[in-house]
Amino acid sequence: MQSYRLLILPFLILAVSFTILYPNFADRTLKIVVKEDVYSLPEADQKVLVTALFERWAKDYGKTSGWTIEPQGTLPPKENPFYIVKGRFITSAKINQISQENQSLVSESKNKLEPTWIEETIRGGKSLSIKLGLDLQGGMRVVLKGDFDDYTSKLKDLYAKEIAELNLILNNPTAKPEEKEKAKSRLTEIESSFDLSPMRKIVELEKAKMIIDNRLTTQNLTEPQVRIQKEQDAIEVSLPGVANSAAILEILQNTETVEYRLEEPTPFLYKSQIADNERRMMDLGKRENTDIFLFQELVKNKAGKKAQDEFLEGLERKYNIPKDFKVYAMWARGNAAKSALLPRSFVVLERKIALSGNDMTNAQPSYNSNSYGWMVSFTLTPNGAEKFFDLTSQNRGRNLAIVWGDKVISNPVINDPIAGGRAEISGSFSEQEAIRLANVISEGALPIPLSVLEMRFIGPTLGIESIEVGVKAVAIGFFLVMIYMIFYYRLGGFIADVSLLINLIILAALLTLMDFTLTLPGIAGIILTAGMAVDANVIIYERIREEIEEGRALSIAVTRGFENAFWTIMDANVTTLIAGILMIRLGNGPIKGFAITLCWGIVTTLFTSLFLSRLFMELTVNRMGVHHLNLRPFFFGKKETTNA
Amino acid sequence: MRNINFTKYKYFTLSFSFLAIVLGFAITFGKYGGFAHSLDFNGGLRTVVELPADKTRSDLEGYFQSKNIEAVVILLEKEKNIYQLDIGLGSLETIESLYKEIPEANRESSTSAIDRFVQLLRYEYKLPKEKVLSADQVGAVVGGELTEVGITLLLTTLAIILLYLSIRSQFKFALASSIALVHDILMTLALIGFLQIKPSVPIIAALLTLLGYSINDKIVVFDRIRENAHGKDNLALSNIINVSITQTLGRTINTSFTTMISVVAIIVGGAVELYDFAFVLLFGVIVGTYSSIYIAAPISEIYDQLRKKRFA
Repeated sequence: MQSYRLLILPFLILAVSFTILYPNFADRTLKIVVKEDVYSLPEADQKVLVTALFERWAKDYGKTSGWTIEPQGTLPPKENPFYIVKGRFITSAKINQISQENQSLVSESKNKLEPTWIEETIRGGKSLSIKLGLDLQGGMRVVLKGDFDDYTSKLKDLYAKEIAELNLILNNPTAKPEEKEKAKSRLTEIESSFDLSPMRKIVELEKAKMIIDNRLTTQNLTEPQVRIQKEQDAIEVSLPGVANSAAILEILQNTETVEYRLEEPTPFLYKSQIADNERRMMDLGKRENTDIFLFQELVKNKAGKKAQDEFLEGLERKYNIPKDFKVYAMWARGNAAKSALLPRSFVVLERKIALSGNDMTNAQPSYNSNSYGWMVSFTLTPNGAEKFFDLTSQNRGRNLAIVWGDKVISNPVINDPIAGGRAEISGSFSEQEAIRLANVISEGALPIPLSVLEMRFIGPTLGIESIEVGVKAVAIGFFLVMIYMIFYYRLGGFIADVSLLINLIILAALLTLMDFTLTLPGIAGIILTAGMAVDANVIIYERIREEIEEGRALSIAVTRGFENAFWTIMDANVTTLIAGILMIRLGNGPIKGFAITLCWGIVTTLFTSLFLSRLFMELTVNRMGVHHLNLRPFFFGKKETTNA
Repeated sequence: MRNINFTKYKYFTLSFSFLAIVLGFAITFGKYGGFAHSLDFNGGLRTVVELPADKTRSDLEGYFQSKNIEAVVILLEKEKNIYQLDIGLGSLETIESLYKEIPEANRESSTSAIDRFVQLLRYEYKLPKEKVLSADQVGAVVGGELTEVGITLLLTTLAIILLYLSIRSQFKFALASSIALVHDILMTLALIGFLQIKPSVPIIAALLTLLGYSINDKIVVFDRIRENAHGKDNLALSNIINVSITQTLGRTINTSFTTMISVVAIIVGGAVELYDFAFVLLFGVIVGTYSSIYIAAPISEIYDQLRKKRFA
């Protein structure tokens, strides 16, 4: 390994690491967005809001913090409603704090920390700064309450057909008594499922919890805590340092489902009515008065699900559609390659659900090279496969719509009965949409709609005082350890210190790249990493010293020292690594945070102690003309003789 | 190099450890009825209050101590004097009776424990409503889940280590390391119970850290034993153990010492909420080092002797 050229490697790694870590130390720009309605307030009220912001600002972020805020003490112009904050170490907790304390002035969900040029270049604008966990900086806590009324009404939709059939038997005077008896017991069974016992509620909440867990994992949040609050039928979600609460909330609460529903029987009575009317409007040159145009406008203006539902219900009234049927919009992309997914026409589907998402599993998105589009294939459960076969054999020639959330995304004609339990959905999806759809099918939709019961930002487990003191203590501890190493192993100690520092820098860069959220247990993992890194060097130096004491030449002693220590260090670290990987697989929350830093720490430790330290040491001995290496402490070390 | 006879005291050290563990657990369950309650594990009441500028942490702690309420006081924000108060479930009855002592005129009737506690605080510190920033009855964060996961985790980890070390060196060393690891965890748990330290997320972190440290330590010692034993079947194992431990003693002392420097810095530094964490870790480092020398090595020797007797 005696080569100068290898030296380029540590420098390269350090350069990359510092680049990755740069956003943590750089001057950053934060855009605080002023709420639109503030501008319509009387001037006096505006002034009160602005003054409150700046007084609070002066108190907390005063002159010493090095932060500046513009425009100074006035409301920014309406066309450009931003306060620009510039400074270093802007944390998400601080951003939240500013928003929370000025709720009537600041539009929290739109605040934006401008990416640094590095984040722009290598991450396409995604953040590269180290995230701190709820226990270190606080974060958001949301309590979501299960809406069981809505849940039962959906259940009733699902059983509507069966209930009607059973009632028919019960009211049929010619039906046999045993048939009636059977129908009656089935009816009580169905009705009992509408009655939610506390136990049932917990089961449904558990399902919802699992789905939320999965959804959060895909959001790159390392240590979200999700737990059930039995007392109030709610799920509590703690999100460390989450700033963009609106977006996360939307993901959490999304109750999107996937269902199959049959279209009205052909010929399309209601659908043609609507289509005729729309065409007439077009012929009159009143495109902007057609219902589909109006509906598209609603979507484009982000009017929300409620407005869309109301619009569709309005159509049902307009065309006198019977209550067994329901109007949906068929969504698709335009002809242009990247046009938006928008409602393109209306279809009328049966109100009852033909096949629900519970009957489908294992969905996979895939790219269909024949049609140049994304599709989702999935498996049906045994029960679902049976239902699907019956459905497709009894309804040949009819259309079977696939409804995702409230969008019809595909509406194929049933040509032949489909058996075998596998099916696919093609529609005009983007890759992202195909993935999302596959997720909804695989994870299932939230079984119960969730409403926000309480949302607030909470303080850390450790107080500000402890964090300050703790960081200082750890820093002093490291410093003392480094001094001690130099005292004890002299030049060797210095080399160990350099590789320890490089180790920590690489580790920090790795964790940043992985979007790791740093928590208190995570810090404990880093402290252990440092301890083991020092230990590795100690093992090596003790070995080298033994070799020197046995009278070997220095360069041979160094090589043999590293070789002898190699397996000991490997064994110790690999065993710990196995334990760490197990902790990542089995544990969650605090255990996981600890284990992730520990595992990556071991990887960096092996690199720095077995490769870097060795490189430095051999270069020192072989190239820099150090002929005498004393690995004994100052003052106490006896004079050693080595053969250079 | 002079050889130190470490294995000479093996029966003494083994019995000492055994007794210490039994005593620790006996006191934990006999005297205290189990481990201390904590908000993270058992749930409890959590309030965040802004106190008048002249009140300090020690005022609060003094108050709770005098009323016999178990509370953890955390300073959240220095400038505004905001504290978070965590009250364990064990103090609910005390709060109940203290609440009843508040003059009728100053209290509103209330059924929830958290409400009563808030009223108590407000009465005691003359706080207006808006100074109580939040008040919750919180569920356990880590408790149930952690004991379950923790035990599975520990057992699986031990099994893997046992397997890995058996393959890499010899079964007796793997077995001895595993037993010593269990010893370290039990010793530390006994201490946590004995001193009634509140289990919390930092304590879990400390336990995990000591586990990692301890594995590391044992393997270093055993690697040397294995190396020295290589091709020397006729030499008594106790002799090899003594030589090996003596050879690695410099390393053991240095590593323990450097690890302890960081830990002691936290204790001396005065981060109140990290005190337990650092204390458990300090104890763990000492126990880990002790068990590598005085528990793991002797066990491998005893195992060796027993096996030789059986096959003799």
